[in-house]
Amino acid sequence: MDRQRGARHGINTIQINRAREIHAQTVRSRIPQPTAASSTLHSHDCAPTVPRYRSNNPNNPPCAHCGTVIIPAPKATFPFEDTPSITVDDWTITTRKKPILNSQELDQWGEQLSGLTLPEMIFGNSYVQIKNEKHDLCIQFNALDALKAVKMEDSGIRVSYAHKWIKSKREQQKTSELHDSSLKIAQHYDWTYTTKYKGTHAGPEFIRDDSTELPLDKLAKPDPILFYDDMVLFEDELADNGISLLNVKVRVMHERLLILSRFFLRVDGVLFRVFDTRVYVDFHENKVIREYKEHEGEYNAILAKHKMVHSHDPKAVLRDSNWVAQQLPLVKRECEVLELNKDSEPKCEENP
Amino acid sequence: MELDKCLEKLYAGQLLPEPTLRALCFKLKEKLVKESNVVHVSTPITVVGDIHGQFHDLLEIFHIGGPVPDTNYLFLGDYVDRGLYSVETITLLIVLKLRYPNRIHLIRGNHESRQITQSYGFYTECLNKYGGSSRVWQYFTDLFDYLVLCCIIDNEIFCVHGGLSPNVQTIDQIRIIDRIREIPHDGAMADLVWSDPEDDVTNREDVTSVSSHFQVSPRGAGYTFGRNVVDKFLQLNGMSKIYRAHQLCNEGFQIYFDGLVTTVWSAPNYCYRCGNKASILEVYSKDEFYFNVFEEAPENKLLNNSAMSNGNFINNFFNDGMVDVFSDEYQAASATSRHVDYFL
Repeated sequence: MDRQRGARHGINTIQINRAREIHAQTVRSRIPQPTAASSTLHSHDCAPTVPRYRSNNPNNPPCAHCGTVIIPAPKATFPFEDTPSITVDDWTITTRKKPILNSQELDQWGEQLSGLTLPEMIFGNSYVQIKNEKHDLCIQFNALDALKAVKMEDSGIRVSYAHKWIKSKREQQKTSELHDSSLKIAQHYDWTYTTKYKGTHAGPEFIRDDSTELPLDKLAKPDPILFYDDMVLFEDELADNGISLLNVKVRVMHERLLILSRFFLRVDGVLFRVFDTRVYVDFHENKVIREYKEHEGEYNAILAKHKMVHSHDPKAVLRDSNWVAQQLPLVKRECEVLELNKDSEPKCEENP
Repeated sequence: MELDKCLEKLYAGQLLPEPTLRALCFKLKEKLVKESNVVHVSTPITVVGDIHGQFHDLLEIFHIGGPVPDTNYLFLGDYVDRGLYSVETITLLIVLKLRYPNRIHLIRGNHESRQITQSYGFYTECLNKYGGSSRVWQYFTDLFDYLVLCCIIDNEIFCVHGGLSPNVQTIDQIRIIDRIREIPHDGAMADLVWSDPEDDVTNREDVTSVSSHFQVSPRGAGYTFGRNVVDKFLQLNGMSKIYRAHQLCNEGFQIYFDGLVTTVWSAPNYCYRCGNKASILEVYSKDEFYFNVFEEAPENKLLNNSAMSNGNFINNFFNDGMVDVFSDEYQAASATSRHVDYFL
């Protein structure tokens, strides 16, 4: 009884202690810890060396030993803006990840891209950018420019059941009061959002050279990744008739970087498309290669290829753009090269 | 198994055994088959849009909107696909509907269909969670055929998953649909779960020509409906507005045609990466309502990280309450534990 009465007066000591602990924890966490603490997370055999790259992101301290910033820290809440960035020699790689556009921004975009019914999800404030200050070169991947490349004409593609649908409507029309005009497609744009976007590019021009290949041997090496990001620029489920997705990935290693911007389209029962743009930069040679590939194939042909491998859930793998890309025939390939001289004037000025 | 026992398990995030699911789906079918295509409900009621398997956000909805049966709920469909917990989500809703049939109402969305769920994740999830067998998926999808198509609140507000159809001028035309079937590709039933309002701002001058009709989408199937269509429908049926779901909106809701049509979206941070807000719409009468806007449940953020780190990290977080989430270690650990891909 005594104890019970005691509890009724004032606050329980356990609660007070807990509150103190929480407070202390919060305070502690605000004091910057030596970054060496994070070394427990990587194992290092070598002594710390001074790297030739630096991370430009205060929210995301690099490892004291190797300077690795593998991936941006968990997204900071506003008012902070988390723009992870890393610099290697003259090259600065920056990414920004933001939520989808709000309705106000959507209205603005709607005006800029008039005639286009915008995709369901647009990450319009996200981008991947590489910049070379010395040579005034900047290549950026963003959603707005990608959508500007969407054709404002009929794509000729129809969903698998469109023919049946229109036919049954025609039948109905004979008996109903519907106007004939209501069966015409009123607005023409490429509803698959197919985009041949190769990045937004400013500065010295690329030189077309289809004979160049990406150095796959170098890229396949498991070099330590200093910086990595992966983001979607836009996505639409085509009213559940498939998917249209533009995704950009970047990985930066000591000697080189690779960006892959992939447009992936699946129209169920109709076709697949994978349009890849790869930007490769060799930091040593200061050479940029941009490769663009179009893959396209029929839906049923791809599905059949898969049925031979697995059978219980055939459609799961159709969501995997890597698998699909491997199965699809290559339709078109283009390659461009840009060599920047390290010390002298940029080479591109020699070209008209 | 007792329904309350099921609820207890489900609220704790556990799955129900396959025979139980079979019995539950069977029982609910028996109840739903007696319902009309159009169900009448009255205020106060809370309208919930798409959930898409975001189970933790569903629990969050019950937190902020009040638990069942203290609050009446009307769900506008799309319970499954895309999110990681479609099975948990739909099971919980089924049990709640059985336990409190008059407190919770479930409308059919376009994802409550066999064809769609095979492409968008629910089928795969059922296989993964029930030992590679598709029987559970069959129980669920068979049940989906029985879900009702729309609700009317206080004889004033028309609630549906997608929108209007050129084949539906009056509510009675919905009542005569044979709904107990897979969602077809065309006809009134398809349009009710698929169609979207078209708010055509750019063509204001020729507004009559643009929005007096239903328009065919450039995909070659499916409709969008304009303001005049809405006006006509509401007037003919003596109603004042339409609530629907089906389309993602960053703010959690979107108002069309000066409030005649409202989209409610209830899946925050959709697909765990859109960063959007979500809302539930609390309706007190036809003119009194409140958008309860909310963000992603904290569990989701943790799950996002744990999905990439085999869950160990997250278990540590729960077991040992002293983890300092602001620390560099925590941040770096969650950063390095994420997937890094040697893509080519």
